[in-house]
Amino acid sequence: MKIIAAKKLLKANDKYARENRERFTASGTYTINVVGSPGCGKTTLLEALMENLGGRASPAVIEGDLASTIDAQRIESRGIPVVQINTEGACHLDATMVAAAADGLDLDGIDLLWIENVGNLVCTAGFDLGEQLRLVILSISEGDDKIVKYPTIFQKADVLVITKVDLLPQSDFNLQRAESDMKHLAPKAKIFQVSARQGQGIDELADWLLRTSHGE
Amino acid sequence: MHELSIVEALIEQVQREVDQAGQHGRILGLELVIGHLSGVNVDSIRFAFELLAPETILKDAELRIDEPRAICRCHDCGQLTEIDELVATCPRCGSGDILFEGGQELLLQSIELEDN
Repeated sequence: MKIIAAKKLLKANDKYARENRERFTASGTYTINVVGSPGCGKTTLLEALMENLGGRASPAVIEGDLASTIDAQRIESRGIPVVQINTEGACHLDATMVAAAADGLDLDGIDLLWIENVGNLVCTAGFDLGEQLRLVILSISEGDDKIVKYPTIFQKADVLVITKVDLLPQSDFNLQRAESDMKHLAPKAKIFQVSARQGQGIDELADWLLRTSHGE
Repeated sequence: MHELSIVEALIEQVQREVDQAGQHGRILGLELVIGHLSGVNVDSIRFAFELLAPETILKDAELRIDEPRAICRCHDCGQLTEIDELVATCPRCGSGDILFEGGQELLLQSIELEDN
């Protein structure tokens, strides 16, 4: 005999993701899953955005890394609540890890929760964490072909942030190509160009994120 | 290598499905659907399955995987083209006003059990 299941694989993860999303919505916590390659500038972008938002938001961060607490210490030194998840080799965060990390936070006092995923453009694509917004980073130094080479993660992005644009003069990165590839894959996604180091584009992105988190 | 964790989840999911159906026969086959743009590598899934299945209820199961392709939809000429790799322009008319759809499936389609 044959059982027709026709069900999504990773259904268990999706169930926990749904529970996370309900929990975040109930506490008024807008949650952003930040995805990008190792070294694309995830932590640096978060620091620049939180600096810019200042008292306009009450943020917290869930840091996902294979090992170490380097990124968490960077966030903590700014007086921002942070929970570190060490995946001990796993290449992505999943919804159960985020649920456990959220237990360590006072969600009622947090209106903007950043989840910095493990640096990886492949495996992170398959796991819904229960976030309201998925922000994918592509840095100038990675090259403009990455959207086509790793389509899944970009197709599932709500926002693409192109970082390190201060390096454009030293690079052959074609912004037009990257933006055109992105529009083919995810026509509804917003695209921002920033340099977290020099501050370019950070005002615009921070304001947009704040408005979006308020449902505007 | 998240294919290993996907196969672990698959084994648990199959167990739940057969329990729910009240079936205890030997599992002979599994059908999965893994789209070209799902980000999941079919060879790695087969490798992970070979590693993990022998100790489980799936030890006798044959794995069949359907791999649907993505579709390029052109807004200028209306053509729908099945594609294996992403293209920059419509393969028919060359327009850049295109959209990619589908190919993202990641499904446990069916479980085949030995008749009692």
